Amino acid sequence: MTDLFAPAADWQRLPGRYVTARRWSALAYNLITTIVVVLGVGFIFDWSWAGGTAVAGLAWTGWRVIRAGRWVRAFGYAERELDLLITQGLWNKRLTAIPYGRMLSVNVDSGPIERAWGLAKVELVTASVQSAAQIPGLPQETATGLRDRLIVAGEAQALPL
Amino acid sequence: MTADPGPVPLPPDAPPAPEADAPAKRTERPHPLTPFIRGWVVLLILVTGIGREFLPDGEGPRPLPPLEWILIGVAVLALGAGAAGYVSWRFTRFVIDAEELRIDTGAIFRRSSRIAFDKVQSIDVVQPFAARVFGLAELQVDVGSQERFKLRYLQLGRAYALRDYLLSRARGAKAEATESTAPVSILADLHEADEVLVQVQPQTLLLAAVTSHEFWAIVLSGLLFIAIGLASGQWWMVLAGGIPTISGLFGFVSRRVTGQFNYTLSRRPHGLRISRGLTSITSQSLPARRVQAAQLSQSPVWRYLGLYRIDIEVIGWGGVTGDEDTTGVSTILLPAGTMEQVRVALAAIWPQADFAEVVLSPAPRRARWLHPFSGPFLRWGHDQHLVVSQHGWLVRRWQLVPHARVQSVRVAQGPVSRRLGLADLEFHTAGMHIAAHASGVDAAVVLERQSELMALLHHPGPDLSEPSVATASELSEAQAVIATPVSDNSGTGDRVVGQAAGPDALRADQAEATISSTE
Repeated sequence: MTDLFAPAADWQRLPGRYVTARRWSALAYNLITTIVVVLGVGFIFDWSWAGGTAVAGLAWTGWRVIRAGRWVRAFGYAERELDLLITQGLWNKRLTAIPYGRMLSVNVDSGPIERAWGLAKVELVTASVQSAAQIPGLPQETATGLRDRLIVAGEAQALPL
Repeated sequence: MTADPGPVPLPPDAPPAPEADAPAKRTERPHPLTPFIRGWVVLLILVTGIGREFLPDGEGPRPLPPLEWILIGVAVLALGAGAAGYVSWRFTRFVIDAEELRIDTGAIFRRSSRIAFDKVQSIDVVQPFAARVFGLAELQVDVGSQERFKLRYLQLGRAYALRDYLLSRARGAKAEATESTAPVSILADLHEADEVLVQVQPQTLLLAAVTSHEFWAIVLSGLLFIAIGLASGQWWMVLAGGIPTISGLFGFVSRRVTGQFNYTLSRRPHGLRISRGLTSITSQSLPARRVQAAQLSQSPVWRYLGLYRIDIEVIGWGGVTGDEDTTGVSTILLPAGTMEQVRVALAAIWPQADFAEVVLSPAPRRARWLHPFSGPFLRWGHDQHLVVSQHGWLVRRWQLVPHARVQSVRVAQGPVSRRLGLADLEFHTAGMHIAAHASGVDAAVVLERQSELMALLHHPGPDLSEPSVATASELSEAQAVIATPVSDNSGTGDRVVGQAAGPDALRADQAEATISSTE
């Protein structure tokens, strides 16, 4: 059953330091969200409700921090001849195949936390919103290299819209 | 589709500006006045907003904070907008040259986007008032994705030059300066040259409306309300439930009948057209190439009447129409019709495909654990043109997606479906509303089917909205007689040329048909 989400291909995994970056970003974003929500609940409803919310928020943060390692190890991408495969997810697994010819643009994003580890995220934009193809946590040179390879392959194999 | 066009030689009429004056890679910035204009725009909004407060509006004078406070607030906000504009200007760079179109933005969250030249759909040059004063303009690049890439602000001449250059690149090797043709005329009547494909009678619409599941949903909710009223002895609830229900039913039926009255799908020499309506007649042209997906649906009673409805999703038309009475574009391809009419209507947009020939395979029995109601009716299959999936328990739905419109394919599996050895397949198209998918597929076959689907996606051949080969040659003969020297954007002439000259020409052709530019 595992090979359903990892067909034979040259799978590339994410670098180990992305686990740390992902833990920090999970910590940062989740804690900020939790604080905002807790304060909101506290002021609007009741501080006892806010306590419950805080516990839930902390549990969620801890869960994300713990799961980050397994999530990153489960993530993979493969550049095949005609398409890019992305596999991800632990419980809800997804395998997305995007033909190079369908890519409209390729973005390289790097937020402050990712930049601190020298990482960047490659985002593939197709005409479909549902594609939502992102490869997070790549070293910056790898990311720009991948972007340039993808766009060249896309222009060479362009499929009509 | 492997032939790389390579560095496309610039057509002689394209502006030589982008690379003639600088052979090395040249990154540009928007015009330095940009932050000033942004601050100015915010200032204008504030001033008009506050000015409106000062105007007498019949409610007497309102208490306002002292003038100096207002002025300080406005100045702070305008300066803030200007500062934000300065930062974003400082970090915005772009490269538009023979090799790449790249835009780098963002101070904290940096983004570097590269856009494929041939995916550019349209380019707009926009001039807000403040920019106009300084002879600046905003360049918007639409690649068909959700966000538009914006470059603001550039000198007007530069914006036009870049637009012309990008448009010529998007048209590929066959770049020519073509005049945009006049928009399609909207006439109430049918021309004699029009070939009527499908016509829906008002009585069919009426019958379909009163037997649709939406109608019965309104009836049931009204009856429920009345029953509660009777049971509790609250007589006012009977009235309060009955009157809105009756008026709601009346409104529903009349919307369906008047909105789609005299529905006619016809083929003109230049494409398909839908005309409909009783009080206000709407006539819209239907660009078959831009149809992303279609969905057939059938209410429970319609199964005995043999009626179907077709909704389609078209790029740039927004959501799937819920209100039949809208005067604008509607995404209903067939409001109600027999299977024969369904076939004709679908053959009009996809002449090469026949969905009835697609062999559908049912979901395995164990899928009923996950889909207790619709399980027995889940089916999916594909042939060389279409992917078809069937869903629904009471209301049956068939989703049809051509391979040529699939943007990506995803296999998804949750914890429960993993236990059952099932998986879902999603077919992503450029539309957002008909989310085509096949649920409860046997996991053992899903991977091989996915690679099969991907392989089909890569061999587009002639597009399935082209007429079939025999028809095309007939058309080309006919076209030779009809053809005028003026190139017409959506006509059959271009299509035939595209088929003769191979996939690249087809692409260039199509770019020409979809590219629009406004000023």
